[in-house]
Amino acid sequence: MTRPDADADGSALPVPPSTGFAALVSHGDVRELRGPLLVAGGIEGVGWDEFATIDMDGGERRHGLVLEIDHDLATVQVLESTDGMSLGGIRIRFEGRPLHIPVGAGWLGRVCNGRGEPLDGGPPIAGTATLPVSGWPLNPVYREPPQEPVLTGISVVDGLTTLVRGQKLPIFSVPGLPHLTLATQIAAQATSGGRSFRVVFAAMGLTHADIAYVRDRLEERSAGGELVLLLNAADDPVIERILTPRIALTIAEHLAYAEDHDVLVIMSDMTSYAEAVREVSAARREIPARRGYPGYLYSDLATLYERCGRAKGHHGSVTIVPVVTMPAGDITHPVPDLTGYITEGQIVLAPGIAARGIYPPVDVLSSLSRLMRSGAGENRTREDHLDVAAQVLAAMARARQATELAELIGAGALSETDRSYIQYRTSVEKGLFNQGRDENRTLDDTLDRAWEALSALPENELTMVSTAFLKRYLPARDDRS
Amino acid sequence: MIGLSQEGFAALTPVRQALRAAAEKQAGLFRDDARIQARALLDGAKAEAAAILAAAVGEGEAAARSEAALRSARARRQAHELVLVQRNNLRLELHRRVRQAAAGLTSDPRYPLLLGRLTEQCRELLGPDAMVTEGREGGVIAEAGSRRLDISLPVLAEMALDTVPGVSELWSR
Repeated sequence: MTRPDADADGSALPVPPSTGFAALVSHGDVRELRGPLLVAGGIEGVGWDEFATIDMDGGERRHGLVLEIDHDLATVQVLESTDGMSLGGIRIRFEGRPLHIPVGAGWLGRVCNGRGEPLDGGPPIAGTATLPVSGWPLNPVYREPPQEPVLTGISVVDGLTTLVRGQKLPIFSVPGLPHLTLATQIAAQATSGGRSFRVVFAAMGLTHADIAYVRDRLEERSAGGELVLLLNAADDPVIERILTPRIALTIAEHLAYAEDHDVLVIMSDMTSYAEAVREVSAARREIPARRGYPGYLYSDLATLYERCGRAKGHHGSVTIVPVVTMPAGDITHPVPDLTGYITEGQIVLAPGIAARGIYPPVDVLSSLSRLMRSGAGENRTREDHLDVAAQVLAAMARARQATELAELIGAGALSETDRSYIQYRTSVEKGLFNQGRDENRTLDDTLDRAWEALSALPENELTMVSTAFLKRYLPARDDRS
Repeated sequence: MIGLSQEGFAALTPVRQALRAAAEKQAGLFRDDARIQARALLDGAKAEAAAILAAAVGEGEAAARSEAALRSARARRQAHELVLVQRNNLRLELHRRVRQAAAGLTSDPRYPLLLGRLTEQCRELLGPDAMVTEGREGGVIAEAGSRRLDISLPVLAEMALDTVPGVSELWSR
């Protein structure tokens, strides 16, 4: 029996199902244009966060997100702003679902804007599947604890705050410090012990000069097909900034769990992201909470940070390094404060250390990787790693006390041991912490430098490392037997 | 002033000679010392100059390396972007040809059947009162109040291109 719409030879011109056509229905009843917002009337069956396409009379096409629904009115935030739009010359098509993106290896080596559209002149990204950018955090039951290190080639990070596959470890900084340089260096150099490693860099609210720096610095990784670059500039729409980390994580999750790569997602700067959330929340007329940020900022940040991890039955992992700039260096500011609740440690940059000409200016006594024990030590990095890291930090704490004491009573009045701690601080800062901006150190080099710095101290002060390690790794000194 | 007598002058000769010899010896020592100091200064200066030169060479090499890396990165990026632009041109050309070919389907014997089905779809989505007209390039365009549904043949062709799997391989191979 032939279908009624088939012709004599039984074939018919294929007609896509009407569900596909529903997304083609356009609405022309636009009642108001207000800043980046557009209010459309006569709307039915449209939901919150739904993605929309706006067709303008001249053939130009813009995009938007549904911010609010009130009876038959839909408020849409236009991603490219409403400049040049006029009532009567606009039609809106609602996609019937939140923003979906194609996912797959097609993203690698590409440079896109904050909503995933190519900036490199190439065709739109083609994927092997289409997924919602909102994603979903990993089911706790299917989680595997983070394990094994991600080596960044940066001594102070690898040696003292080791990043672990599947961890979320933020960089806390203040404006003016080289946090972007550090994040970019991590993106350029990070590896996971010979496994297939990919990087997704989500730039949010960066200046064009910073974007140019990031592109130049990461070009090699990009040309090698190991990098996805999503660039949302400071003058790009704020709502796009809200989408950028979600798109980055959706791409990363697919690369990790469907294609078995270890994926590092760098998100810089999360404070710009949170400011975008605040702006959109104000446009939705929500009740503001601390410093004008919406009350749900914690859960909003958690829906991003919690998308990292490792999953049972999958070899890949998603590791997140967000950069958080603390306005006026205030660590109690809502963004670093809430980020600190969710993440597993922090790398803190300090202006005082940067002023001494040390790069990266990491304040090691305020920095911590809570999962370091899962990624460092015997069979993971090197047998002496954890002990030597503990010793370096303990000695830094004592050196700080000795320096404060020297400021009070003068260096001449200090004991010989205290003076050796002050000498140790200079030696560890210059030999271990200070590093070139494109210098990639092996872990062995890092740990050897740590031992070299510790050799400035009397041997009986090195109480956190075993005698066997002292014999094996501590460099010989003339005055030491 | 009264000059010395002949004898007195002769008697002082050994003293004069001794003084002169001592002065010459002292001068010799000073000269040697000065030579040693000058040599040491010169050696030190040469060593410092060599160190400065080595550091400058090192810094220059590092700067040149990073400049070369930057230039090569930019050149590679430009080359890659040229390839990407060409791929995009291929994609646009494919879309243009498919749209053109779709417009030609109006002369296909199965076209009236398609038109009927599309009209049905319009009424299903916009309601039975929707006004359905045939598009200039084939297919239909329906309107009901402020709602409009454009399923003309070029739109259908674009939809098909976006949904057919593997199309992107045509320009990314």
